[in-house]
Amino acid sequence: MLTRLSGARIVDPAHGTQQDVRDLYVRDGRMVDRPRDGERIDRTWDAAGTIVMAGAIDLHTHIGGGKVNIARGLLPELGRQHSLAATDVCGACTIGPAPSTLATGYRYAAMGYTACFEPAMLPVNARQAHMEMGDTPIVDKGAYAMLGNDDFLLRLLADGANRAEIRDYVAWTLHATQAIGIKVVNAGGISAFKFNQRSLDVDEAHVHYGITPRTILRELARAVHDLGVPHPLHVHSSNLGVPGNVDSTLATIDAAEGLPIHLTHLQFHSYGTEGDRKFSSAAARIAEKVNASPNVSVDVGQILFGQTVTASGDSMLQCRNSRHGRPPKWVVMDIECDAGCGVVPFRYRDRDFVNALQWAIGLELFLMIRDPWRVFLTTDHPNGGPFTSYPHLIKLLMDRSFRNGVLASINPEAAAMSALGSLEREYSLHEIAIMTRAAPARILGLEDQGHLGPGAAANIVVYEPHPDPEVMFATPRWVFKDGELVAERGEVKTVICGAIHTVKPDFDRGIERKLKGWFEQHHTQSLSSFKIDDEEVCECGRAPRLAVHACRARTA
Amino acid sequence: MPLRGATCGFCGLLCDDLEVEVDGAALRVVRGACARSEAALAALGAVVDPVPRIAGKPASLDAALAATVEVLRAARRPVIGGLDVDVAGMRSVLALARRIGAVVDHAGGSIKYRNLHVLQEFGGITTTFAEARNRADLVLLVGDGWWRRFPRFVERILAPNGTERRIVTLSALDPATRLTLPKDADVLALDAPLTGMPAVCSMLNALVEERPVKPARLAGVTPQALQRCAEWLRAAQYGVIVWSAADLDWPHAELTVQAIARLVRTLNGTTRFAALPLAGSDADLTANAVQTWQSGVPLPASYANRSVDFDPNRYALRNVLARGEADALLWVSSLSGAAPPPVPGMPCVVLTRADVELDTAANVQIPVATPGIDAAGHLLRGDKVITLRLPRLREGGPPAVSTVLDLLLARLG
Repeated sequence: MLTRLSGARIVDPAHGTQQDVRDLYVRDGRMVDRPRDGERIDRTWDAAGTIVMAGAIDLHTHIGGGKVNIARGLLPELGRQHSLAATDVCGACTIGPAPSTLATGYRYAAMGYTACFEPAMLPVNARQAHMEMGDTPIVDKGAYAMLGNDDFLLRLLADGANRAEIRDYVAWTLHATQAIGIKVVNAGGISAFKFNQRSLDVDEAHVHYGITPRTILRELARAVHDLGVPHPLHVHSSNLGVPGNVDSTLATIDAAEGLPIHLTHLQFHSYGTEGDRKFSSAAARIAEKVNASPNVSVDVGQILFGQTVTASGDSMLQCRNSRHGRPPKWVVMDIECDAGCGVVPFRYRDRDFVNALQWAIGLELFLMIRDPWRVFLTTDHPNGGPFTSYPHLIKLLMDRSFRNGVLASINPEAAAMSALGSLEREYSLHEIAIMTRAAPARILGLEDQGHLGPGAAANIVVYEPHPDPEVMFATPRWVFKDGELVAERGEVKTVICGAIHTVKPDFDRGIERKLKGWFEQHHTQSLSSFKIDDEEVCECGRAPRLAVHACRARTA
Repeated sequence: MPLRGATCGFCGLLCDDLEVEVDGAALRVVRGACARSEAALAALGAVVDPVPRIAGKPASLDAALAATVEVLRAARRPVIGGLDVDVAGMRSVLALARRIGAVVDHAGGSIKYRNLHVLQEFGGITTTFAEARNRADLVLLVGDGWWRRFPRFVERILAPNGTERRIVTLSALDPATRLTLPKDADVLALDAPLTGMPAVCSMLNALVEERPVKPARLAGVTPQALQRCAEWLRAAQYGVIVWSAADLDWPHAELTVQAIARLVRTLNGTTRFAALPLAGSDADLTANAVQTWQSGVPLPASYANRSVDFDPNRYALRNVLARGEADALLWVSSLSGAAPPPVPGMPCVVLTRADVELDTAANVQIPVATPGIDAAGHLLRGDKVITLRLPRLREGGPPAVSTVLDLLLARLG
């Protein structure tokens, strides 16, 4: 089966900056550069006058796992306000800040996204995360397993374990939970909270294990790097949301000692303490450091005004920040000697000084960090706002006069404290395509995603140009996933199941002897119950395919 | 006789350390036994070749499915109840509910809602089994039935390790239960009757919040014991409050759950405390979790009018039946062995555990596999975080719930 898409302007940054008008060819779900001699073209899509990009990739969106489900259960009123009626192909479900998995898949696909990555999969909750992702239709999925607050690793580090042992444990976790990366959330802090420590700075010792977040960050970044896992250690820094946390964020960058790290939802970690209210933007300091540190990539976690719900593994900070939550009901959990979670609803208001400044700080980061290959478009869905607001966010980045118009309408004190009004940069289509396609594919090691070259998955998004980028990005004319038309002008046409993306680095399985003893002594399930094999993850995740991406170990 | 490792799905603890002797159809737990697993395995082990029935008479699966399609096609307001099924079964239940526009509710929905109601109004601070097992230096037990409902809770969560634990029993316990408590634990027994739980929990809140109250003798508990209990709570490093919502069986029991949640939140102001509501039996958490993630709202829910809606009163199965708002009942049950509520005159299709014999013949009865016995399946454990795979124990046996419902869906077109 050969399909041609003709006459579109192609924006494909993985293959250079030229945006020429040319035909694209798809054979059996994959891009090919041209038909074979004499090969019949089965179907042609006339895309004259359109702009075409590869399917978008969200590398940080909370789409699977217990805490989003807690958020749904906590806030049924939000679900009831945002009902989505069934169509011929879609099931009845609800959307809103804590959308159902069905609505998540439908809406992502309709917006031109073809792969989504759950950033905070608790190893003990991995099966449920894969199940929820399995019930998230159309898009491909993957997840980062959370380490760095689990008692096993903290015990290893406290006992001065050698790097090989830590590396084996990290690799074992990737295999056992079917993950594509490793995330650390408030390194050591979630565990410290279980011992009633209420804050933990980068160089402060964990009250029980005596080790610091700096050690945890360095050792995990090292292990991920040495194993050759493509995605650098994904870091949710210490002190989320705390005024003055710029210092711990800069210290976190230093803790990596030059090894690759990815700082997530950086907006929540870029706060100073200047001004009468002791809350200010530190985006300039952070951006300067990121610009000067080629080992660092970031995603922003932009906030957008309105009701949402925050769902995080960071029980320590969610408990601390719960007093700001609206409506005033919240959940905090200590979880299974493994991690924790906290779910706190938030209503970000443009007239509120802090919220308005948070909004401006996120945009400052986007505009001050120069390299679009190292800064990714996220709202930390749903924490800064639901993913459905991405087209609006793209407009804020591409249209300075629109941005300044919003700036003029927010809390004036916050607007006055922000440098945003003076930032002239406007993102180009090429840069948007980098930060939403080419760059996330590259940093995740997805060789066949995020571009339109031969061999790539035929994930193609056809946009109709429009003076308003929000309109253009909200409802592409056509979205093809693996060559199949899945959405047209915002309407889902076909519901398919996406693949699961993982990595499986080599390691010494001898680590299981130690783990088995640990499980028997401390856990309430056996080691064999914990592990998820390939067949099981595909069943749980309804995946037609397990895409295992290459790791190139960097140690002997 | 072959011994097989097994994970037991007959309560929310999902113990995965069982060894079961399989002798043909017969099943015997030789390691990790408890009263619940022994009873269920004995009942299931005694069944040979269960067959579908139409109006009480043996029939082929094919004929039973055809009869079910007839019932469902004729129904305008179908309701699906039971729902003690594994994840795959629940996925199929929901696909069917969307297809036929059904109301869905779990058999234990009103019990589960005692906790869920408080979550939705107040939130909560909770913990899980391994946290309680390894960290708790004080455990407060509320209610008197948790021990029968979760028979190995003491053995697996409370008793192990050398942790020095204080234990407070708020409710009167029968002597047998008391004997199972860890022998080296420091126990404070308040022994209030169940009817006294609301008053005692409120008073404990007042005491830990240091409000100006003078506890009188309350629900048979002395003021000294109440004060002592409050002191213990405040002195704990990591305290855990345990209850089973099924024990709190009185009108507006959610107010007692809320008093517990508040107590936990207050204590967290100075030390660490967490709730551990014991649940997950009969797959109540499994059914609710799958419904919640797929649709965005919990159970009970309606899929009528091509949309989904949640309402804990309007769509509660017993209310729907009592108000005459249903015209067909599909009962789907694979774990508990529970029979459907009587629905005289209403068409009724029953998918049940293989050993269930109905008092009154349903229009159609189809035996289905029990997860962890005749089919593999996934269940969500009682602390709401861990999902375990229950491997299949024996060959043969009836088809899984998901298999039956998927065949049904294919026939409905």
